[in-house]
Amino acid sequence: MTHLHPERFGENARAALGDEVLRGALRKATGLFGRQRGAAVAEMPEWEALRERARAVKAEALASLDVQLERFEERATANGIQVRWARDATEACEQVKAIAERLGRPTIVKSKSMATEEIRLNEHLEQAGHRPVETDLGEWIIQLAGETPSHIIAPAIHKTKRQVGELFAEKLGIPRSEDERELTRAARRALRHSFATAELGITGANFAIAETGSILLIENEGNIRLATSMPRVLVALVGIEKVIPRLCDLQVFLRLLPRSGTGQRLTSYQSLISGPRAGSGDEGPEEMIVILLDNGRSSVLADNSLRESLACIRCGACLNACPVYRQIGGHAYGSVYAGPIGSVITPGLQGLEKTAELPFASSLCGACREVCPVKIDLPALLTRLRADVVEGRAPGQGQRPRRPRRIEKAAFAFWRWLASDPVRWTLSMRVARLAQRAGLDRLLPPARAWRKGRALRPFAPRSFRERWKEDDRRGR
Amino acid sequence: MSAREDILGRVRAALKGTVAIGAPGSPEVAAPTDLDSHAARVDAFRTRLAAAEGHLEVVADEAQAAAVLSEVVSQARAKRIAVSDAPLVAKLTRGLEGVELVDAADRAGLLAAEAGISCVQHAVAETGTLVLETHSERNRLVSLLPPLHVALLHADAILATLGDALAAVDPGGAGSASRAVTFISGPSRTADIELKLVVGVHGPRELTVLLIDPRTRENAP
Amino acid sequence: MRVSLFVSCLVDQLWPAAGAATVAVLRKAGCAVEFDPRQTCCGQPAWNTGYTKDARALLKRTVALLEESDAEAVVVPSGSCTAMLRHAPTALGGEGSWSERAAAVAGRTHELSGFLVDVLGVEDLGARLERRVSWHDACHGLRELGLREQPRRLLKNVSGCELVEAPGCEECCGFGGTFSAKHPELSVAMSDEKIEAIEATGVDAVVSSDAGCLMQLRGRLEARGSSIEALHIAEVLASGRGA
Repeated sequence: MTHLHPERFGENARAALGDEVLRGALRKATGLFGRQRGAAVAEMPEWEALRERARAVKAEALASLDVQLERFEERATANGIQVRWARDATEACEQVKAIAERLGRPTIVKSKSMATEEIRLNEHLEQAGHRPVETDLGEWIIQLAGETPSHIIAPAIHKTKRQVGELFAEKLGIPRSEDERELTRAARRALRHSFATAELGITGANFAIAETGSILLIENEGNIRLATSMPRVLVALVGIEKVIPRLCDLQVFLRLLPRSGTGQRLTSYQSLISGPRAGSGDEGPEEMIVILLDNGRSSVLADNSLRESLACIRCGACLNACPVYRQIGGHAYGSVYAGPIGSVITPGLQGLEKTAELPFASSLCGACREVCPVKIDLPALLTRLRADVVEGRAPGQGQRPRRPRRIEKAAFAFWRWLASDPVRWTLSMRVARLAQRAGLDRLLPPARAWRKGRALRPFAPRSFRERWKEDDRRGR
Repeated sequence: MSAREDILGRVRAALKGTVAIGAPGSPEVAAPTDLDSHAARVDAFRTRLAAAEGHLEVVADEAQAAAVLSEVVSQARAKRIAVSDAPLVAKLTRGLEGVELVDAADRAGLLAAEAGISCVQHAVAETGTLVLETHSERNRLVSLLPPLHVALLHADAILATLGDALAAVDPGGAGSASRAVTFISGPSRTADIELKLVVGVHGPRELTVLLIDPRTRENAP
Repeated sequence: MRVSLFVSCLVDQLWPAAGAATVAVLRKAGCAVEFDPRQTCCGQPAWNTGYTKDARALLKRTVALLEESDAEAVVVPSGSCTAMLRHAPTALGGEGSWSERAAAVAGRTHELSGFLVDVLGVEDLGARLERRVSWHDACHGLRELGLREQPRRLLKNVSGCELVEAPGCEECCGFGGTFSAKHPELSVAMSDEKIEAIEATGVDAVVSSDAGCLMQLRGRLEARGSSIEALHIAEVLASGRGA
């Protein structure tokens, strides 16, 4: 599996900019999702009220998270679900591994889940000799290729049909094809075999409902339905922030999430799973385990401003809307969670030691905030994390940023000193103008960086304030 | 300290000073309000199902349903047909000729079946969605594994909104509650290869709804 | 109406003609314009880069300066500086009475096009410019201040001027303040997408009301050898009257 390097965002981004295939695919995907989202939203006159309601429900759930979690546990347990808790990635992985171990060498089918990506469950299971099979088509392609997803809802958008055809020919021993229908059929056949023999299914969850002790899973392909229906044992890894109070709240999120993600009114399938099979006459898993994962979430919860990032419902709208993401895709962020929300969540969950570049991976244009279905103020959170980086603070209980930014700090302190006094300011601007005319600005890294592909606008021969003063003297 | 106590303790500490208030507004926000009449619901369901690429056949009664079912199945050239254990499914498939009926418990048979027939407990006009509950039949795999899913729906089961459906279902793990409630809107689909839409990736390629609506007869000329 | 001009650093030093044009336009609209030469930077670059302490110091200085004037409005020929001043009450939260003082200033601070259309109700300034132009929605003006129709209405009333909408006119130009220097290649790639859309419309100029965007777009247009001009909206509105 590719290793993730958020600390090399700049480098990663430059590499991505040189990949024309990737950029073409990104333009197509983000453009399509964006347009479809626009059309789906336009037919909902009450879209704003819907967003407000969703935001309020999430805020309510987070503000009473302990109560919601206990209620979920109580109801789920009464439903026959085994509820476990995991403080961090290692604990969660160990729990899943122990279940797999108990089943011997089970065939494991996995459905797409950001939480399992976050804890690197596959790597962990593979190290123990297990072979979890990703069953979402995009995820499976990525797994066969030994890569990581590049988009939250379209994990393999960076691969062309031809590349997928070559990959399938090599890994499945089938004739090479560039027909998406044929490739999809080949995947169906191969994965049907995995499903038919699977003893352990691993999923995430889009929502956990406290009122009923259920989880809700949203998809288009049907692989989640298979993974939750066929194997003998079902494990769902659920971040603690996924819990919502009531079943009726789901209608709000079902109206928002598919429209925001792909522009669909509703995805093909939603599965509301509330427990293992009723008896031998019933279908579904004999055993169902829900693992509630913290892994930094409680620290984010403790941070009054970052808390709202826990309201994210992982729709991917902010990625599609982000002009930075659209140029470089998900890999450049070096994190499971990419795009604007990823640049908030990742530092929130991990701290800033390795992720200090991410909050700066944005022009703060605000397009993300405009499309977020739960109205997370992403630019404000990115700005807040920038301040954490500058001041050497750690968000939540994560790690502090590593590099003190001495030069930049000194530069801003100097700027402030200059701007605090009109005489100093006016003089300094004149000096800067003369320095630029003498070509001395080439010595300044920001000016050099600016000149990469852009002409630097020269200082005007006379500033506005100088003109104003002269006009004043002339008595207007 | 157990992970549970630890996490809950951290959550409580994190929330110190936070006042939890109920979310203002109604969960019904943005729900369609023009679906009060039976006709409006059927109409909306029909439109939305079509938009989701599901097929609809409207019949007036069970006898007609059996006839249309036979046509649908033979058009699909389905020889092995998986059936849920609902009485209506048994009743309507009784007359099918030249086919082998596969029991919902027969997993190997299900994997080889060319069509699956189940009932639908509720439907949603707002989105053209079928709602399958496990408390009344074994429908999970019958509706999922074969390439064609034929769903039998009584017109009275069409509810107006997603909220109505959520109020009608009975999810749970005890007694007669549904271990799984499945919402289905159209066939299984993917766009994971170059964003090209392909149906039938893991689940059915085709979804046909047999809507049994006695009022169609009343309205007939 | 008496208005106080907060000209912004970039207009002051790099685009003084836009500053002069702003004054001309405001006078044409019947305003008496004052300008306090003690003004410097509002602190926005520091704020957006995470240097909140430096930013707060400059914000307070700016608020103190602007509240000295009893002009009815503060007009800024820049959406992003206006947005910073509007955000000042929040940014200065927890600093005693500063938040309230900032709120009083923020309440009468307006970006030029918003001021003309929403406050003065003026949409036609009698300008004349024989050009085909495209409007670039600067992010802060559009998404923080809600300026979408205002500048367009003003441009449509410029005689001889044809407004051609470019696809993606609401997309970021790639400037983003210090972002443009931290990630130059990325920033330029963002501009290119925008510029290609503008070029395809066949316009002579791209117009905006944010000197940062104009600097970015013109800088890239020049590097690409394009003849498309980047104009501040004040320059367009002041044109053709010998002003």
